[in-house]
Amino acid sequence: MAWAKAGHEAAFRELVRRYERPIFSLLYRMVRDRALAEDLAQETFIKVLNGIKSYRPEFKFSSWIFKIANNAAIDHLRRKSLDTLSLDGSPSAETPEQMQATSLQVGDRAETPLDEVESRELGTAIERAIAKLRPEYRSCILLRHVEGYSYEEIAETLELPLGTVKTYIHRARNELRVHLEDRRE
Amino acid sequence: MNQSQMHLTTDELELWAQGLLGAQRSFHLSDCSLCRELAQRERKVILELVQLPAFAPTAGFADRVMAKVKVPTPSGDWQPN
Repeated sequence: MAWAKAGHEAAFRELVRRYERPIFSLLYRMVRDRALAEDLAQETFIKVLNGIKSYRPEFKFSSWIFKIANNAAIDHLRRKSLDTLSLDGSPSAETPEQMQATSLQVGDRAETPLDEVESRELGTAIERAIAKLRPEYRSCILLRHVEGYSYEEIAETLELPLGTVKTYIHRARNELRVHLEDRRE
Repeated sequence: MNQSQMHLTTDELELWAQGLLGAQRSFHLSDCSLCRELAQRERKVILELVQLPAFAPTAGFADRVMAKVKVPTPSGDWQPN
């Protein structure tokens, strides 16, 4: 980190190399779209590396980068829930023809090779169960059991009270168990 | 009620599932079918989570990032990469 702060390009590259998989994996599981996860991962690294001078060494570097990545994912998911399209077409459509022309046709999008990769990668029962969790639960459970963070580190990273983190993780595990057991029955 | 008779807490169930619970509290599981079942279900979920694969972004990801990063010089000035 000291080397990166001193301005060595090789150190920057090393940070990207070291964190690209965990950061991309978290974002991919949060937004479930490869291209979007890659854009958000890129945005995260650019923000981190361009802001490296403001990094405070008393804070764990991994916590800092995961915090920025998680915020990017949560912001995106909030924006997405506000931008939900009406299935009945544009609100400015005035005639039935305009309604028809602007309506969202569910299932009319051809499956691309990327869709196939995504359904293979995120199609397992556990991945589908994770996708059903609230985003706040999802980031906590992924940091806990995929990244191996302690409850305290998650609280610091996500700026949440320790009790909230524990509650989110316990609820997330209960929900996952229910989803997985429903599938087996 | 002594300590070995008390049901395991949620934190203890997690510790057991990760193999980190002390012998004294773990002993409770041999007598309590309720806690044993809960602990085994907890372990299944945790095992599925810890075995999740890591995903990689597409090739050239680092180059795309570095193309947009301003690399600071050792003197503290910023230079476009």
